[in-house]
Amino acid sequence: MDAATLPLPVITLQPLGDPAAAACEGDFCEIPDHHQQAVVNRKLDEDNV
Amino acid sequence: MSNPIKVDIWSDVQCPWCYIGKRKFEAGAAEFGGDVEVEYHSFELAPDTPVDFDGTPVDYLSQRKGLPVEQVEQMLERVTGIAKSVGLDYDYDHVHQTNTVISHELIHFAKSKGRQLEMKERLLDAYFVRGEHVGRIPDLVAIAVELGFDEAEVTEALESHRFLPDVKADVALAQEYGIQGVPFFVIDGKYGVSGAQDASTFANVLAQVQSEREVV
Repeated sequence: MDAATLPLPVITLQPLGDPAAAACEGDFCEIPDHHQQAVVNRKLDEDNV
Repeated sequence: MSNPIKVDIWSDVQCPWCYIGKRKFEAGAAEFGGDVEVEYHSFELAPDTPVDFDGTPVDYLSQRKGLPVEQVEQMLERVTGIAKSVGLDYDYDHVHQTNTVISHELIHFAKSKGRQLEMKERLLDAYFVRGEHVGRIPDLVAIAVELGFDEAEVTEALESHRFLPDVKADVALAQEYGIQGVPFFVIDGKYGVSGAQDASTFANVLAQVQSEREVV
């Protein structure tokens, strides 16, 4: 189901927090860029890169 | 008199960000320090997944999304690294990709006994860390018995699908809230927080909700 065919929310929530935080939609879990960079930084710290 | 902040969390058992987000939320709630009451709700990310998918999570994702195997392996390696940063040892080599609806029924069964949080944690650990199957009734009964639940009672509950309407009610409520991805946190029934936020973000959100309560 794409965004255009999703039912409209009945209950309105006030959004809080970082809207770009990592989440899973459908069977796919995206990794935001800042998370990828964090992993690279950690590996650099561990001298793995 | 204590009036805890109610946090309703939509989550799936095979959602890597849900377990990571759980740890970050727990750290944020501890940093906040106030009273928080947590209730988990069911969300099925891929309800059409077979109970016994013949393949690994890498096979599953590459087949479903049409991604090269190498790209999926890199994605899972990154997620595993992030999980490690919050103390979780994901073992994707032994994960059993499956349909999670019956595991959600088991979480509702445990909720009916006042032990939902314990079961939620155990099932996430089963899936991501221990490499246990969380889609088949005998495997789920074994997990429940290990936690001290009555074998005959939990078997009857899962075989009769007595708690399936509760799972579907959670999914329907998620649709009413417009929730498209998980983890998703509804705080005091008014505020929506999407995704595995940093612990400090959760702490700040809880503090903000608490301060707004005090103004009213």
